[in-house]
Amino acid sequence: MSQPANAAKRISFFFIAVISVLLILSFISLYQAVETYRRTGSADPMIIALSGGAIALSSYMLLQTRRKPLKLGFEMPKVFAAVQCTSCDFTNIREFQTGDYILKEAEPCPKCNGPSFISSIYRKAEEKED
Amino acid sequence: MSTESPPPLGLDIDTLAQIAWLGFFVLYMFYGQRLQIKIMLREIEGSLFRLKLMRDQGRAIAISAIKDLGNPAQDLADRVDRMLEHLTFLPVDLDPAGIIKKIEHTVDVRDFRFKDEVRLMLPEADETQVNNVTNMLEAPLVLNQIYKIVRHLYLTGKKTSSFYIILQLQMILPQVMKEAQAFARALRAFTLGQPIGDGVGALVAARLMHGKEEREIAMDTVVSEVPIEGRMAFVLKAKGPGGNVGKPGEAVRRILEEREGKIAGIILIDAAQRLEGEKPGEVMEATGVAIGGTGVEKYKVEEVATRYKVPFNAILIKESIGDVISTMRKEISDSVEDAMGRIRRIIRESTKEGDYVVIAGIGNTIGIAQ
Repeated sequence: MSQPANAAKRISFFFIAVISVLLILSFISLYQAVETYRRTGSADPMIIALSGGAIALSSYMLLQTRRKPLKLGFEMPKVFAAVQCTSCDFTNIREFQTGDYILKEAEPCPKCNGPSFISSIYRKAEEKED
Repeated sequence: MSTESPPPLGLDIDTLAQIAWLGFFVLYMFYGQRLQIKIMLREIEGSLFRLKLMRDQGRAIAISAIKDLGNPAQDLADRVDRMLEHLTFLPVDLDPAGIIKKIEHTVDVRDFRFKDEVRLMLPEADETQVNNVTNMLEAPLVLNQIYKIVRHLYLTGKKTSSFYIILQLQMILPQVMKEAQAFARALRAFTLGQPIGDGVGALVAARLMHGKEEREIAMDTVVSEVPIEGRMAFVLKAKGPGGNVGKPGEAVRRILEEREGKIAGIILIDAAQRLEGEKPGEVMEATGVAIGGTGVEKYKVEEVATRYKVPFNAILIKESIGDVISTMRKEISDSVEDAMGRIRRIIRESTKEGDYVVIAGIGNTIGIAQ
């Protein structure tokens, strides 16, 4: 299949440069506020708050650019098959095996050795799924 | 006397910082939107990168799964790539008279074409394998199309620097990614032949039909006569356990015509879109014909039921888009008993003993026999 015309990049260096400039300016402002306090003995709370806020915001944005592990959705969920006995109704839950399907005749009942079939096949949803 | 040396150019650090800040704000004022575009493009690039990985991995999984089924054709990769690029055009609707038949014909042609392609890929495959592989290939096909459409919008937005194209793409992207992930999960389910959420209607029908003799009433659709609550029910579903949706509308039409309309009611069971806040597997009742897809099968049931004045009811099992095409969740599988109880209650309350009813389990029957 054809390759994309523009290979997608995960991190934009331009974006990081802008945040870095913002971060440096914020640190300079904070340094100035501290210096002013040392010289005059009074602090400007507005400058401290703005610089602190800008530092926090730009640090957060930088942290957001960290690479996260990619989950694409191809991960295999745990799938189970319920094997039900037609004689004693005993239901045995086991892991899904290739070739299983609902209403397929299954291994004899472990309790009464009677015939059994797969009554359902299901996956347990992950906790974060709604 | 002060011993401090004067600052260079007569500017101290305070003034320099103020100039730098001012410069930054002026730049932001003029280039703010461009910066925003850059940030949005960066986010889209991330999603596009993931979509590309999904598309490539989906293709690789599909090819590997076909190889596992044994003795594939020599040009397997080329054939798969051709199928993934396949497009289907629906008929023109400027003159809507007769469009249902045209849509049905187009969908049938596509279906036959895909199955023929799979038979050429896997000459020794049985019918179930052919159906499963055909279904499986739909997932990478959709992933490929999603990737190409998003890439097209991304490149168009980038080329024109159009804030609005990029904004619209960024707004719909979370939903697009969710759907792409659902198709990635579907690929796994189809590869292994596991029942999917969409098959819950077929599962209800299968449980009712279990142990009864069945006959093929329409293409890929089977029916059994099942006594329920002193009435006789024609229970129908797509023919499993291969991936199939069958032709439930055609089957209902044939049953009603065979019995010259002497049917006391039609009950359709299908998966339905779950709204946020609703629980997966929640069962609801509705009036109307609950059949999704192109509308052809829905039309057939509506037409024949109206002709013979047969009432129709629907039982809906709620699930999200992700659940519909991925391996059936436990909550959805557990809802089958509730749905069967409701069928019995509706039959008891709305028909008399000795009446005939039709129960149609709608949905893809992959992993569900009869």
